[in-house]
Amino acid sequence: MLDFDLTVNGRRYPVRAEPRKLLSDVLREDCRLTGTHVGCEHGVCGACTVLVDGKPSRACLIYAVQMQDHEITTIEAVAKDGKLTPLQQALHEVHGLQCGFCTAGIVITFEAYLRENPRPTEEQVREVLAGNLCRCTGYHNIVKAILRVANERRDAQA
Amino acid sequence: MRRPKLRHIGAPIPRKEDLRFLTGRGRYVDDIEIPGALHACFVRSPHPHARILSIGMEAAKKSPGVVDIYTGKDLAQWTTPLRMAPPIEGLHPVEMTTLPIDKVRFHGDPVACVIATSRYLAEDAAELVEVDYEPLPAAANLEQALAEGAPKVDESLASNLVSVQRFATGDVQKQKREAFKVVESAFHQGRMTHLPIETRGLAAVWDEGRQHLTVHIGNQVPHPYRSQVAARMRLSESQVTIASPDVGGGFGQKIALYREELTVCAASRQLKRPVRWREDRMENLMAASHAREDSVRTRAAVTKEGRLLGLELEILEDFGAYCFYPANYLARVVAMILTGPYKVRDYAFEVKVALTNKCGNGPMRAPMAITSWVIEGTMDAIARELRLDPLEVRRLNMVETRELPYTMPTGEVIADITPRETLEAAVKAIDYAGFRRRQAAARQEGRHLGLGLCSVVESTTYGSRFYKAAGIPGSGHEAAWLRIEPSGAVNASVGLGATGQGYETAFAQVVADGLGVEPSQVRMQLGNTDVAPYGMGSRGARGGTAGGTAIFLAAREANEKVLAIAAQMLGFDSAEGLHLVDGRIEREILGERVKTDLTLAQVARTAYLDPTALPKGIAPGLDFSKTYDPPPMTYSNAAHACEVELDAETGALKILRYVVAEDCGTVLNPFVVEGQQHGAIAMGLSGALLEHMRYDEHGNNITGSLADYLVATATDLPGFEVIPMHTPSRGNPVGIKGMAEGGVMGAIGVIASAVNDALAPFGVVAERQPLSPDYLLSLLRQT
Amino acid sequence: MKPAPFRYHRPRSLADTLQLLVTLENAKLIAGGQSLGPMMNMRLVQPAELIDLNALAGLDLIAEKDDFLEIGALARHHAVESSTLVKKHCPLLAEAAGTIGHYAIRSRGTLGGSLAHADPAAQLPLVAATLGAEIVVNGKRGERRIAAKDFFVSMMTTALEADEIVVSARFPKAAAGDRHAYLQFSRRTGDFAIVAVAAVLHSRKLRLGIGGAEDKPLVFEDFSAHEDPQAIARKVREAVQPTESPRVPALYREELVEVLVKRAVARCLTSI
Repeated sequence: MLDFDLTVNGRRYPVRAEPRKLLSDVLREDCRLTGTHVGCEHGVCGACTVLVDGKPSRACLIYAVQMQDHEITTIEAVAKDGKLTPLQQALHEVHGLQCGFCTAGIVITFEAYLRENPRPTEEQVREVLAGNLCRCTGYHNIVKAILRVANERRDAQA
Repeated sequence: MRRPKLRHIGAPIPRKEDLRFLTGRGRYVDDIEIPGALHACFVRSPHPHARILSIGMEAAKKSPGVVDIYTGKDLAQWTTPLRMAPPIEGLHPVEMTTLPIDKVRFHGDPVACVIATSRYLAEDAAELVEVDYEPLPAAANLEQALAEGAPKVDESLASNLVSVQRFATGDVQKQKREAFKVVESAFHQGRMTHLPIETRGLAAVWDEGRQHLTVHIGNQVPHPYRSQVAARMRLSESQVTIASPDVGGGFGQKIALYREELTVCAASRQLKRPVRWREDRMENLMAASHAREDSVRTRAAVTKEGRLLGLELEILEDFGAYCFYPANYLARVVAMILTGPYKVRDYAFEVKVALTNKCGNGPMRAPMAITSWVIEGTMDAIARELRLDPLEVRRLNMVETRELPYTMPTGEVIADITPRETLEAAVKAIDYAGFRRRQAAARQEGRHLGLGLCSVVESTTYGSRFYKAAGIPGSGHEAAWLRIEPSGAVNASVGLGATGQGYETAFAQVVADGLGVEPSQVRMQLGNTDVAPYGMGSRGARGGTAGGTAIFLAAREANEKVLAIAAQMLGFDSAEGLHLVDGRIEREILGERVKTDLTLAQVARTAYLDPTALPKGIAPGLDFSKTYDPPPMTYSNAAHACEVELDAETGALKILRYVVAEDCGTVLNPFVVEGQQHGAIAMGLSGALLEHMRYDEHGNNITGSLADYLVATATDLPGFEVIPMHTPSRGNPVGIKGMAEGGVMGAIGVIASAVNDALAPFGVVAERQPLSPDYLLSLLRQT
Repeated sequence: MKPAPFRYHRPRSLADTLQLLVTLENAKLIAGGQSLGPMMNMRLVQPAELIDLNALAGLDLIAEKDDFLEIGALARHHAVESSTLVKKHCPLLAEAAGTIGHYAIRSRGTLGGSLAHADPAAQLPLVAATLGAEIVVNGKRGERRIAAKDFFVSMMTTALEADEIVVSARFPKAAAGDRHAYLQFSRRTGDFAIVAVAAVLHSRKLRLGIGGAEDKPLVFEDFSAHEDPQAIARKVREAVQPTESPRVPALYREELVEVLVKRAVARCLTSI
């Protein structure tokens, strides 16, 4: 067992865990942030995606002990003071989620991606979204929601 | 019954469920914190078929954190076996113990369960369990399973053929003899799995003091599941609570009581401690439940013009090693509804189901998924062989609106469907006529376009009379409960298990219209068997028709009682002319609606707290229960059309356009319905193009990760153009027809139709799915 | 799917890292963990010691030198694909790096990890081999540079000694007028290629790299730009011997080699 601190959503969490304990498990069990979901534990499905220093990363392919001195952001910190971000709001308004299990990973991925590329094309959105599996929606409305956010930004700038 | 004006049913209201999911505050099984819970991990067979000689647990039991390890012999003391023996002609009864005792039947079969203080430690110990196996030859596929002297998967059976059913009506042989031509077609659908992004899992909490078991589990059918858990643990149903929280997708995988789940329940009772299990993805792929894998053949006797005179169907299904469902059930539905919107009198089928040394099969979103591919593929084959336009062949054979209700050769009655209307709408939207010109022009440039058509008649909702007629014990009814609290707050429930269908929103809309309140005032309480009424749960596409109607009826009854009390409170003799609208009583005077001062909250307060003020004969409280048994079968319909481009050098496919025109009757919430259409089409396309659960010729599963089992991503699927063409059903008071599986059927059929259209100039036909590029290139290689 | 236990080490310097490599038994290096992580979660790999390279400073730099770019082993794929230096001087590398896995995988996966893992279908070994890159490694005998063609030995096997680590790779800069193409065929976006082809046209000479076909990237040099793309494609197809696998028939890989080479060559020529 090792003792170390994790910084998650701007808060410090003292953690006691074996070095092998996955970040996804530590977030869920030790930090009690269960919004990060575990879907495959081999980096394919994207459900567990969190931000490490602002960059999307699979929490199932990181050992929590590696994250000392890094900033983790999870889905719980995306909406500020209970106010949904434009992306979350758009997903709600165009029915971009069904069972909701993959949703956190998608929101996290695109909060980061839209900062890097605020006005992507549909093709770019689909390329990035290909890293998150959703079994319910067929992706159509997720793409629609992301493009709506991108277009609103475009309109706002115009 | 008076039918109110629908104000909320059909409104595009964004879902109530979304907020918690979008902010990471959903409650899926694994999110529920249970102090002191132990973790289970299963030791699984590395062999497809082997005798268990011994299980050595000494080293594993000494491993850190291990509490105990259980095997099939332990479970046999604490639980009863599953006996699958419905009185169905042609189906052999089978039985399985909770965990295997003498032999394992597939690669991944659970042989022991390690209980430890964490999943990490349980996995460490599982590696130390030493199982001594004597490997046996395996029946790794249908050919091996049905060969002379094949190894028997289930030694209690005479052969691996677990079910054989035949049916004939009219005289197909005569039609074949006299026909202009007999057109033969073949269809092979690969093995798949449901792949909910949330795998299976549960937390079982035994309360020794109350002698009560609470099972937190994502499940589609909480009540039937509870009955099974109770029976197999020799408990009363009153000693078991199933609490199904948010569920990360089901698609049919979360219906049966699986062996691992029963083991965890038994372990909790044995240890008097909470025990939880979260299946990992490797287990989910190898050992949860598989689906499909059918080999189908049709022979169609036709006239020169392409009119269908007689039809023969053969289905051979690979059911895997264990029967969690009657083995005939999935394939038989295909045979029962095969002809869909097409007219034919002379029909015969033979449905055979065989056991193999693979993970057991179960229903996956559209258990009858292959149906539309088979009948539409047969239409395409007729057109191809007779050099006719495939659209014209469909038009020629399709039932006319004036011929409805139409009795299929199997006796199934289709009514209130609009196949001609949806077909013509889809054909127009995709520009069928213009496509042929574009296709010809593209071929000049060496590009290969194809257009596919697929009509779907979806059997959505099975009533009890259907089960009775099919000889299957069971009910098609659904149950609803509604309570107006003393404050006027409305709680309601149905026996369905939500797995993402937006019940909390759509059923609140139904209650809102049935009762006369705002949807936001209604809270649906779902998934807990202590709260929800005993309904048959979510399976097929019954939720809307069976559940929606049941809760509507309960809400109407509540409305009547509320108005009766209101009449008394307002000093009227009767409730005539009174309405409850958005929680306030309105009075109709000379055709005008006038608001009164009386609210639902005041009526409720009177009903609970001042019962002596109630009208004579009206009991205190506002609590309502209703059940509803739908007609034997409810159908909805759709037509799919899609355009593809085939890269003839690599075999790669690109879907250029996808159109679907659908009629599913009254729509509760168009967002939810369209989302279900997208999802169903996506699952169909994913299966038709990519998904393939593979075993090698020895029976080893070679699809153990998501790098091997490929499901569609956002770049594999097109945008979907949905044309809503809904006409209400007359079969139930709300007019719902149901939907959510037809999209799978249509997608599988339409993509095959489009690919074969693109392949036409090469003179080859794709008969297998998935339509992988190497398969398509292997066809092109023959030319 | 939880990894077996291991002891964790996070050295702060290269010297400490090399010391750990020499002293520890059954140790594994981890950088991005995008390949090692899944294998450890499946318990296919169970190291007793895990040496985390992520705290090593300066190993993620992308630097321009005279006639090459030096890219540190800890440079993430996403940094490589979006680097203006890489886009300008090694456009083939930038393009290929942008096809690795998915966005989140590229944010974390590293160049050094991909080279050392040596998956025969992976992008970076193929590009390194095609461009004639040098892999810079360091070990107890000091630093040495290994030509990519010698570095990749076979399926997931490299010329790295047990005490050595990859510290950087040197990719020759493209000359003015060079053309390139990168084509890969995979079942889905982000999947490993069934076949990948990297092509470079430099002063009327074509160099072709083939990934996914055999147990390491193959390089074919000195085709003339005047030759018919189809003829080149035939020759390359005849020269490769894909292995048969239950998932992908060898014949199909051969056919893909031919088609992709033809298309890659044509793309190089038409982009002039």
